[in-house]
Amino acid sequence: MSALIFTTVLGIILLYLGLTKNKTILSPVAITGLLITLILSLKDWGLDSKYFHDMIIFDNFSIAFNVSMIIITIIIFLFGIDYYQRMELHVAEQYALMIFALTGAFLMTSFSNLIMLFLGIEILSIPLYILAGGKKASFRSNEASFKYFMLGSFATAFFLFGIALVYGASATFYLPEIKIYLAQFHGNLPPMVMIGLLFIVIGVAFKVAVAPFHFWSPDVYEGAPTLVTAFMATVVKTAGFAAFYRLLCMGLLPLPVPLEKALWVMTGLSLLIGNLAALRQTNFKRLFAYSAIAHSGFIMLAMLSQHDTSASVLLYYTFVYSLATVPLFIIFILVKRASNGLETLYIFQGLYKKKPWIAVFTTILLVSLAGIPPTAGFMAKYQVFVLSISQGYLAISIFAILMAVVGVYYYFFVVREIYTESDHLHPIVVSKLNAGIIILCGIAVVVLGIFVWKLPI
Amino acid sequence: MLLLILLIPFITGFTLLGVRNAAAVKVVALSSAILTLFLTVSLVFFLPATRFSVSWINFLGTDFSLGYDGISSIMLLLTNLLFPFIILAGFKHEQKQVPVLYALILFTQSALIGVFLAQNAFLFYVFWELALIPVYFILLLWGGANRRAITFKFFIYTLTGSLILLFGIIFLYQLTPSPHSTDFLAFSQLIIPANTQIWLFWILFIAFAIKMPVFPFHTWQPPTYTMASTQGVMILAGVMTKMGIYGALRFLFPIVPLGVLFWQNTVIVLSLIGVIYASIIAFRQTNLKKLIAFSSMAHISLMVAAMFVLNYYALQGLLFQVISHGVTIVALFYMVYSIEKQTGTLELPMMGGLKLHAPKMSVLFLMVVLGSIALPLTAGFVGEFLMITGLFHQSVWFALVGGITMVLGAIYMLYAYQRVMLGNKEVNYESKTDLKPLDYFFLLPLVLIILALGVYPQPIFNLVEQTVKSMQNLLTPATEVMSAWVH
Repeated sequence: MSALIFTTVLGIILLYLGLTKNKTILSPVAITGLLITLILSLKDWGLDSKYFHDMIIFDNFSIAFNVSMIIITIIIFLFGIDYYQRMELHVAEQYALMIFALTGAFLMTSFSNLIMLFLGIEILSIPLYILAGGKKASFRSNEASFKYFMLGSFATAFFLFGIALVYGASATFYLPEIKIYLAQFHGNLPPMVMIGLLFIVIGVAFKVAVAPFHFWSPDVYEGAPTLVTAFMATVVKTAGFAAFYRLLCMGLLPLPVPLEKALWVMTGLSLLIGNLAALRQTNFKRLFAYSAIAHSGFIMLAMLSQHDTSASVLLYYTFVYSLATVPLFIIFILVKRASNGLETLYIFQGLYKKKPWIAVFTTILLVSLAGIPPTAGFMAKYQVFVLSISQGYLAISIFAILMAVVGVYYYFFVVREIYTESDHLHPIVVSKLNAGIIILCGIAVVVLGIFVWKLPI
Repeated sequence: MLLLILLIPFITGFTLLGVRNAAAVKVVALSSAILTLFLTVSLVFFLPATRFSVSWINFLGTDFSLGYDGISSIMLLLTNLLFPFIILAGFKHEQKQVPVLYALILFTQSALIGVFLAQNAFLFYVFWELALIPVYFILLLWGGANRRAITFKFFIYTLTGSLILLFGIIFLYQLTPSPHSTDFLAFSQLIIPANTQIWLFWILFIAFAIKMPVFPFHTWQPPTYTMASTQGVMILAGVMTKMGIYGALRFLFPIVPLGVLFWQNTVIVLSLIGVIYASIIAFRQTNLKKLIAFSSMAHISLMVAAMFVLNYYALQGLLFQVISHGVTIVALFYMVYSIEKQTGTLELPMMGGLKLHAPKMSVLFLMVVLGSIALPLTAGFVGEFLMITGLFHQSVWFALVGGITMVLGAIYMLYAYQRVMLGNKEVNYESKTDLKPLDYFFLLPLVLIILALGVYPQPIFNLVEQTVKSMQNLLTPATEVMSAWVH
């Protein structure tokens, strides 16, 4: 709880610091603040503290996810030091908005009441609508913001409607009570509850960009400022899946059959659409948008193969995915600067020639996302497959494995470009700080792949 | 000791990345490879069997356990025998980015050693994939024309197989009694219903079939071999094809014996089709490197056929042939490379009369060619003879087809020799020098091995005797179950 309060205050402090027009103190303050939040969160480990009439519960599950999101945000802010040097206006607001979004994310991992989930999603989303439009002069950024806002509002409406229907039937917002209420029907739910649950799931599915509710994501990823895209692809996704897991596995188990079927269809579609659409992309950010959808498919697979290790696998997967994705977006920014703002995959040509070490670590990060040993990305996929196969979902596992091959295909498309020689020889400037973090992330991805952990969450 | 053999190439490879002097890099890499070879020989022939095991990922039932038996010994011996030569092949001329290249070669060696030592299916898989990555970069960065597209195809092709294998491993893992384990031992103790074994066989086999390659999974091979640099193709043809054979022996026979028996004839027929097909295409080649690539495919296919005959002679012949083929193919590709340096071309119609300029080279080339076509008193003969004897036990027709390929092989290899070396064509070759001392260092030991093993093959047989017998015992009960199941 203290962590939650502290982040809120931190956001406000950052806003006021913006008044001083001194950009250099912002990131140190934000990073120190987040480190304190990290410690405050860890202090609650194992306590299962509940607040506001059990509306929020900080159990190990939520703390683990919060800590992982804080670490990823810190990495994003570390990259931000260099990134925001070049921006003139509203830097403080950008930091503050990301912190506010993080606060929303904390609520999403720790709700036990549907209203709290709704609040969390909204607190997360509204800063993002603004952040996506962060480049005010850019047409695409505005488009992204507007699109995200419109479709996001739709999803929210669905979500609220769903909550209302469930409340109408069960007269409660409280997840454990809803669970008891659902249990009395032994699987034959009345249509009103069924539709309500379906709408709730659709609302969350939109937030995590699971097919077929993914249409916003490529456009928004492409239009938003790249650092914001990195934030959306990692922290927001992690929060969304934590909420999804809490909702499904802590609230609704055993899943009603129609709902489960719908979720399997979403899994299959995410794997299929994400991977196949990514194959055709030439824009790096769109490629990552679609590959993020594909990763959502794998995460859904882990979530639906319910087992007592599902939560741990979910955490591991989202964390190592984020750990590889954030630096890749940064490398993309650096390479883009060296090629007159182009965003195609071909701008990576000659990276190996110009910056061999950065190229090697970029390769490691891509290899991790592609899921090839000995990286953490492989271990994450391996654990997902172990879960799904041991729960007997053989057909979809085979399908997912074949889709993983497609994933390797497009990630290695980028790898291949890195090692191709190019004609244009603009130097790529990588600051010492950025290079350090990229290399650290690369090493972390390998180390996490060798020392795999399982948390009791 | 096992850990040492695994780590020496890896650590040396890492160290090389920091060395600037190209000549020093090559020397260090070579000495590391020789040291590894020395350790391997003493391990395989002189030291008592050891195991190495530390717990790794407990909740996934995976230990970091290394060990070896007869089959692993053969593979280890071959790998570590060939790598000094593969490294030596680079001494002859200037290369770009030498430290990276040799680091990658040593990483490959380390991963291959890992594949052959792993006692745990998960560990096996990790090394299996790990071996692919440095090879991918060796091909991508040092390959020839059109390397981008070809390397990509090779990579995706092999990876598809591997991921399907991964599915098989996880499937087996969850079949093991709780707490689950990915140990080969635990896998081989499983009793899997016949119906499951029949489909599981292909799940496990495809990865190996692609690697070897078996017809019809071979389409990545010819362009990759043709495009690859000399060292790349030596790694691919000499060692990586053996990974497929090793994997098949390690996974299929102990774990899905009924599946093996069910598909036995299918695979043999596919392999024999591969043999004939590759021989005919080799026959029609005008490019020397392609010709040898297809001849290699024909030889490997015959080995696969022999593997699935499941009899004592065939298995012994197969394991013997693993060594003999590895040595011969590396020598052949070195010859190709030397010839290309001399003539500046690989097209057979453009060549001829090289013997006039380089008589010594022509003699050594002939010896390697004779080893490749399995002339008696060369190593190739021992292996192929045993394999065909084994095929004969299964069916006369199989033996007949296998025998025909030996004849075909003799024809196209001698034809190639004739086109390159004989005749008195006056061609403007780029250089007119004969072999240099370095070439003798490379070729003489290999030719000596080919001859020595042809005359006295017993040490290799002793090495694999026990394992082959135990594989036999393993399959005997399966044969009974199978016949009961069919009737």
